[in-house]
Amino acid sequence: MIEAKNVCMKYSKNGQYALTDISFFIDRGEFAFFVGSSGAGKSTLLKLIIRELTPSAGCLKVFNRDVGRLPRRKLPYLRRNIGMVFQDFRLIEDRTVYDNVAFAMMVIGSPLREIRKRVPQVLTLVGLDDKAKARVCDLSGGEQQRVGLARALANRPSLIVADEPTGNLDPGTTLDIMNLLRSINLRGTTVLVATHNREIVDLFKKRVIYFDGGRMVGDEQKGFYTHVH
Amino acid sequence: MNRKGFTPMFISGIGYVLRETLKGLFRNRWMCITSTGVVAVTLLMLGVFMLLSLNINHITDVVKEQVEIVVYIGEQADRNEVAALRQKLESNPGILEVRYVSSEEHMERLRRQLGSVLEGYDTELDNPLLASFEVRATVPENVSALAAEIENYPGVSEVFYGQEYVESLFSVTRVLQLLGLALMVGLAVTAVFLIAHTIGLTVMMRKKEIAIMKYVGATNWFIRWPFILEGLLMGLVGAVIPVVALYYLYQYALDWVAVNNLAFISMLPLQEVILEVGRYLLPLGICLGILGSGFSIGRFLRI
Repeated sequence: MIEAKNVCMKYSKNGQYALTDISFFIDRGEFAFFVGSSGAGKSTLLKLIIRELTPSAGCLKVFNRDVGRLPRRKLPYLRRNIGMVFQDFRLIEDRTVYDNVAFAMMVIGSPLREIRKRVPQVLTLVGLDDKAKARVCDLSGGEQQRVGLARALANRPSLIVADEPTGNLDPGTTLDIMNLLRSINLRGTTVLVATHNREIVDLFKKRVIYFDGGRMVGDEQKGFYTHVH
Repeated sequence: MNRKGFTPMFISGIGYVLRETLKGLFRNRWMCITSTGVVAVTLLMLGVFMLLSLNINHITDVVKEQVEIVVYIGEQADRNEVAALRQKLESNPGILEVRYVSSEEHMERLRRQLGSVLEGYDTELDNPLLASFEVRATVPENVSALAAEIENYPGVSEVFYGQEYVESLFSVTRVLQLLGLALMVGLAVTAVFLIAHTIGLTVMMRKKEIAIMKYVGATNWFIRWPFILEGLLMGLVGAVIPVVALYYLYQYALDWVAVNNLAFISMLPLQEVILEVGRYLLPLGICLGILGSGFSIGRFLRI
């Protein structure tokens, strides 16, 4: 599903490497955490996977395609297979929960019939079926992130990429959201989560890839937050 | 990577684009009114100038038509010489029309012009006026050269064509045309900038939506269409307003000229002028709107 071979990323601004020589392979249906302190390169790697950035060197394959060489016009079709979840939710606050999810389907041109069927499905999945008509700005943080998840799921992606999805949430809500991600993973969707949350990583016992100063320093199945060399 | 929803996308896509366009116009109605106003004001100025320049051109054309060379025939010239002169004039390719005006006819014209002043003079017996040929040039701008040429023909006593009047008229028209062109280009450029700026603000307010659209995999054209349609509509409305305004303004001007007996100002008819102005302003408005929104959305699509 995702294959990195000696991926390097240099920001042109200061010439420093944000990522150096990253190599790993993530299979279809896996659940993996990216951990490391701020500036370790987790977010940069996620941006490379969704092709918001292109690697300066090396080869990064997503769905068996070299994203560094993906032509710009094909980018939308890559993104339709990736659901993204953000720390700051990135919702349209003045619209309803339903509209926010439907928006993601509308803008890729899904038929209205399909949208009417799919939106209630995903809202039920994230437990917000009763809040479809509520405006996003009236929801709690946890509920907003559920909307974010529902939106990410709307187009049936085969990969979910979450950048600090619980960074703005309290511990109880964090667990809810992470459990949701786990249940999504159990249905066959590959899930990548960049996080700082020690408790969750230790609790889940999933694959953990460790970053430090732009380098990959470890990769363990059933890993813990603190990397033991 | 499968191309999800690729086939049915087209139909529901149109629905989406139209809905979003209308919603966008409504949500940002004040900004849209501002942009439309900018287009309208700019095109109104442009339209007024077009009306002026169309009419000035028309008036010059009318005057040009009327520019004549009056060739006075020498007193001592006999019938043969007059006939020879006539033939020489008629065979000149630079001359469109030659008309003989006898001294009696000149007197008659003078009498009509001056009216009672000449009363009591027995002009039949002692007519001091010379007979003449009135000549119209094929190319009005060549009048002075033509006049100089005719002056050397045998039997000609004097050639008159209102030299200074004609030359200054032509130079004024030329200057006006250049000035008008410069002004129109200037106004159009200003309009594009103003529209790009105002639409840019509406795009900026929807930066987040655009980013989300990019993240979930909307194509650039899909994102662009509603904005372009918005621009198109604003441009269209912004062009219709000045065309309607100009219709009434011009009607008022025509009435004013008629009421004040300024019939010598020959103006183009209302319908013809408005059609001509509309033919330029409507497409121009639409182009300005599209260009303006196209410019402003481009930089938000690079995510």
